[in-house]
Amino acid sequence: MIIRIEPESEIPIYIQLTNQIIIGIAKGDLQPGDSLPSVRSFAADLGVNMHTVNKSYHELEKRGIIEIIPKSGAVIRKTLHIDRDTYNRLFEMFQPLIAEALVLGMTKEELVDLVEGIMKKMST
Amino acid sequence: MVFMIPLFILLFLTVIQAALPYFVKRTITFGVTIPEQYIHDERLSAYKRKYTVLASISSLLLILIFCFWILWRSPAEDVLIFISTVFEFGIIFISLALYFYFHGKTKAYKTEMQWTEQLKQVGVVDLSARSEDSLPPWYIYLFPMIITLGLMGYTIFQFNLLPDEIPTHWGPTGEPDAFTEKSPFSAIQLLLFLLLLQLMFLGIQFGMKSSGIKLSATNLAASKNRQFILRRLSSWFSFFTVLLITMLFSFFQITIIHPGLFSNSILTIIIPFGTMILILAGTVILVLKVGRSDKSSQVLVEDPIMDVDEDRYWKGGLFYFNKNDPSIFVEKRFGVGWTINLANPIGYFILFVPLVIILILAFV
Repeated sequence: MIIRIEPESEIPIYIQLTNQIIIGIAKGDLQPGDSLPSVRSFAADLGVNMHTVNKSYHELEKRGIIEIIPKSGAVIRKTLHIDRDTYNRLFEMFQPLIAEALVLGMTKEELVDLVEGIMKKMST
Repeated sequence: MVFMIPLFILLFLTVIQAALPYFVKRTITFGVTIPEQYIHDERLSAYKRKYTVLASISSLLLILIFCFWILWRSPAEDVLIFISTVFEFGIIFISLALYFYFHGKTKAYKTEMQWTEQLKQVGVVDLSARSEDSLPPWYIYLFPMIITLGLMGYTIFQFNLLPDEIPTHWGPTGEPDAFTEKSPFSAIQLLLFLLLLQLMFLGIQFGMKSSGIKLSATNLAASKNRQFILRRLSSWFSFFTVLLITMLFSFFQITIIHPGLFSNSILTIIIPFGTMILILAGTVILVLKVGRSDKSSQVLVEDPIMDVDEDRYWKGGLFYFNKNDPSIFVEKRFGVGWTINLANPIGYFILFVPLVIILILAFV
């Protein structure tokens, strides 16, 4: 799987990495049980600081997407169903985005289309 | 006949140095990052041609002077070898001076053309690259090391057989020409150097393996091909070099213990020259295979993107200094092979510690 980052973007590199790994899992490019490269080799391949990759891995671990196992490294978790806390966290994250969309004049149908469009992108 | 060898080496150097701009990574011209969209720019091609022509003419002129000098003075072997080394440095100096001249011109031209202004920089990683990276395993280095340790044991076992004067240097024809007093240390000195060299190469192998697989966002396939070929071939070439050096040093050690064994044998000439010729041949294969590995594909870059411009980490386009990058080595920008990340202390440790120990042992 290929990860692309834009070092000059306003979005910090660790967030770009986190987002791309999540998209990769959603698309099926990365499967539960797959391990991510070691922090050192990932940082070396990209030519970025190891802290950047470390921060991204810890973020993914905090969100329950990967598990950091001593010696084996970062492994993608098998998650069956969303729990209450995660639901609440996502709810909080969606809220301002959906509010912004409504304020800017999106209709309910357009919003549903947008969600379906993104879902479709993930399934291909 | 002896003068043929330095002459051959000088010609070899001339060809390699003059052709270098054509063997470096496709998106680098004289140490400057050029976006994929502009790598076939007319002016840049002209710079490369000029460099090659100027480097060949001036190097050949030096070789001509060298030949006249030989004919005029008919020097002794050791003088000949010394002066040929001076000329080798002369050729390297010429190409380096030309490199810096064109590095400056390319840098100015890139700024003038404002190529990077409209392009977005993109860095890329292939998460599966590590599993496709096939480098030889580290433990193959145990084989030459065991040979060295075995020979040390044998030398100590045969200590009484050793002459009172231990050879420490061999002339161009393989005959010893410098000696030191016999002691348990001087008896195995050569093998200690060999062991340190083997450890250094093992460290280099480790460094190459853990260094980054750098890919290009604008030409993923070609850059991946080049990185894999560079990593695989250069680590096998290192091992091959270690084997040859081990063979050469072991041969010298055996001639120390049993001076009569190979006296007047053709082996005393074949082994040193054979080693040198095989290492030169390996270098040619490495330069050609790696140098051509990313040149065949013609790509069209549709998006307005370019690779991350790392020029600011490359001092003079030659020296890499990047504190963020945990890589120990990175691919050279002018030449084929690796260079050290000067901001990473592990690299100094691998390369300089063994060399410093060898120098201390040799001169104290």
